[in-house]
Amino acid sequence: MELFNENSKLASVIHRDHSLLPVINRLGIKLGFGDKTIRNICEEKGIDLNFFVETINVFHYEAYFPEKRLLDFPISMVIDYLIKTHQYYKEYLIPENDRLIELFLSASPDENTENELVRKFYTKFKEEFVIHINFEEREMFPFILELNAVIENPKLRDRFTQKYPSFSISSFEKEHSNMDDKMDDLTNIIIKYLPPNYDQNRGNAFLANLFMFEKDLKNHSRIEDHILIPKVKQLEKKLVSYE
Amino acid sequence: MNNNQNISIIAISQSDLVLTGLFEILKGSEASEVILLHRIDELIDYPALNGHILILATSEEQEKSNLFIRQILTSTQNIHFMTLRLNSDSVYSNQTINLFDAPALICYKVNEIINSFVFSQHKEVDTELTRREIEVLQLLTKGYSNKEIADQLFVSTHTVISHRKNISEKTGIKSASGLTMYAILKKIIDVTDINPDELI
Repeated sequence: MELFNENSKLASVIHRDHSLLPVINRLGIKLGFGDKTIRNICEEKGIDLNFFVETINVFHYEAYFPEKRLLDFPISMVIDYLIKTHQYYKEYLIPENDRLIELFLSASPDENTENELVRKFYTKFKEEFVIHINFEEREMFPFILELNAVIENPKLRDRFTQKYPSFSISSFEKEHSNMDDKMDDLTNIIIKYLPPNYDQNRGNAFLANLFMFEKDLKNHSRIEDHILIPKVKQLEKKLVSYE
Repeated sequence: MNNNQNISIIAISQSDLVLTGLFEILKGSEASEVILLHRIDELIDYPALNGHILILATSEEQEKSNLFIRQILTSTQNIHFMTLRLNSDSVYSNQTINLFDAPALICYKVNEIINSFVFSQHKEVDTELTRREIEVLQLLTKGYSNKEIADQLFVSTHTVISHRKNISEKTGIKSASGLTMYAILKKIIDVTDINPDELI
C-alpha cells in the first residue's frame, strides 16, 4: 500500500483514491490544482503540511497509525477539521441519504410495513447521530479547547476545575461504539433481511451512499480515537501534575 | 464462521515493517479487527475491548506484559497469546509465527486459534434462532427488561443475557431497535403487538 507524502502530486493522489475528495475539501482545497504537489498547495493556502499529509494517510490506509509527531499539532486545528467533517455530514451526506432512501422506498412496489420500518429505523438513527455530533460540538470540543487554554495559561486553572469538577475525556469514548453499532445494524438489515421485492438500482444507490457514510464515519472516529483523545489525555495528565 | 463474533488481534512490535506486514497478511484471517501497537502500554487506550483477544508478541514482550494485560483488559472473555519469532530460525509450533512463514500458514495458525475460541463457547454455527431465543426476542421487543424477561420465563437474568448475546451473534444485529426491526421483518412479532414508534 502506497502512502502519500509532501511531494506527491495531489492530482495523482485523487486518481489513486477518490474517496479522499471530501477530505481535501474539508482541509480547504478544491479541484483545479493542476500538477501541484501537496507541499505547493499547502504553502499557497496556508495549510499545515504535516497535518494534511497525516490526515489523508489515515483515511487512505486503515493500517496507518500516525507517528507521535501527530500529537504535536495544535489541538484547535484537529477540532477545526472535525467540525468541518460534521458540517459535511449535516449539510451534504445526511440530506443526500435522505433523498436516496426516499427514492428507494417510493420505488419499491408495495407501500408496505417494511418500507415504513426501514424509514423509521433510518430516521431514528439519523436523529441520534445528529444529537451525538451536536453534543460533541457543544460540550466535548469546548471542554477540550478550555483544557488546552489552561495548559497554556495555568492562571485559568481554578475557573476550569470549577466548571468541570469531574469531567474527563474517557466518559465520551463509549458513545462512539454505540453509533457504529447502529450503523452496522442498518446496513445489515437492508442487506440480509429486506424482502426481495425492492427496486434494485435505487437500493444500490442508497446503499452505496450509506457505505460511503460508514467509511467516512469510521475514519472520523479513528481520527478522534487515535489523534484527538490521546492528545486530550496528555493534557489531562499535565493538568493533574500542576496540582 | 460468522464474522459477528468479536475477535480482535493485537499485534505488538516496535517495527512498523513487521506490523504493516502482519496487518496485510491478517486480512486473510477471521478476526474482526487487527490492532497494531508499538508498545504494550498503548493498550491503555483500549480499556473497553471485549470478546476474544489474540495477542501476537515476541516472547520477551509477553513475559513482561502478561500481568499488565490482564489488569487492563478486564472486560474480555478470552485472552490468548501467540509468539512472534523474528529471528531467522523457525520453531514448528501452531502457537508460533515465524519470520519466514508463508502468509497462508500464518492465517491458518491464527484461524485455528480463533476457531477454538468460538467453538469452545458455543457449538452451533446455525443462524436460526431457537424457540427459547425467539421467546426472549418477543419479550425484548415489547420493551421488557432482562429482569422482567427472566421472571416471565422462570430463568435467571444471567440466562437471559446469554440468550441476548446469542441472538445478536446469530442475526448480526446488536441494538435493541435493530432487533425489533429484525423481529418484525421475520414476522416473529406482529407490528400491531408493539408500538413501533416507541421501540424503533
